[in-house]
Amino acid sequence: MAATSSSYPPPPPYYRLYKDFLEDPTSAPEPPSPIRGSYPLYSATYTTDVVLPSLEDQGVRQLYPKGPNIDYKKELRSLNRELQLHILELADVLVDRPSQYARRVEEISLIFKNLHHLLNSLRPHQARATLIHILERQIQNRKQAVEDIKRRREEAQKLLKDSLQMLDGH
Amino acid sequence: MDIISQLQEQANSIALIVLNTFGTLQRDAPPVRLSPNYPEPPANPSEETINITEQPKAMSAALVQAAKKFDALIAALPLEGGEEAQLKRIAELQAENELVGLELQKQLEAAEQELKLVQALFSQASDNCLNLKKPD
Repeated sequence: MAATSSSYPPPPPYYRLYKDFLEDPTSAPEPPSPIRGSYPLYSATYTTDVVLPSLEDQGVRQLYPKGPNIDYKKELRSLNRELQLHILELADVLVDRPSQYARRVEEISLIFKNLHHLLNSLRPHQARATLIHILERQIQNRKQAVEDIKRRREEAQKLLKDSLQMLDGH
Repeated sequence: MDIISQLQEQANSIALIVLNTFGTLQRDAPPVRLSPNYPEPPANPSEETINITEQPKAMSAALVQAAKKFDALIAALPLEGGEEAQLKRIAELQAENELVGLELQKQLEAAEQELKLVQALFSQASDNCLNLKKPD
């Protein structure tokens, strides 16, 4: 009754292999190891390698120069200038030739996509800086704890010596 | 909020300002004269026509302000050091962390030893005290 009206495939038949699991745990197969790379899920492809996809992967033209070391501040500033210029161009086009707005709007959205991609590519740098900050703070805490313990030990020893002197004098 | 999120917010708000600017101007613009044969459109000075001349100034001022804030945020980015410099610093800090951790553990163990010793001696002394007390 359920098989004819089910719209999803039945669960895989591996459950039969675990019939004697309670008596002999080694008779059943081990669970499969974690997946690496890309995997399909509900007919969509996902990947385990989390990295920011480059602009070409998304089919968007990259306006700032490629290369190993990008001067982020300079590129962000020049993209900001370009954006302002394109907004002015759009205003002019709407006054003179209102039917040609589409190209200008597309260019403005291209600039925004580049801007956001550049900002996203700054995130790994931020993550490393956060890590450095956390490590520095942890080192400081540990040094503080070492100082505290040393001080308390010295106080305790002084106290014992004083009380010993007092008892000897008695 | 961290500086990169602020930059992203500012970029989005620039887009919003542009949207509002062009939308409002298009909505409120007076009709355009198409040909010299037709009469001028009646320009009656009502409250709306007064607003129409003020709006572009205010909105373009807002746009320029937003762009300047974006530039200020860019200038505030703490971007010194490339990736290799950061990784080197992380390795140095990890090594130092290990050393300080070992030192801390050593101190901790010595302090615990002393504590046990003092506790044993104290219980011994208190036992002697009790034994020397004459029962009433």
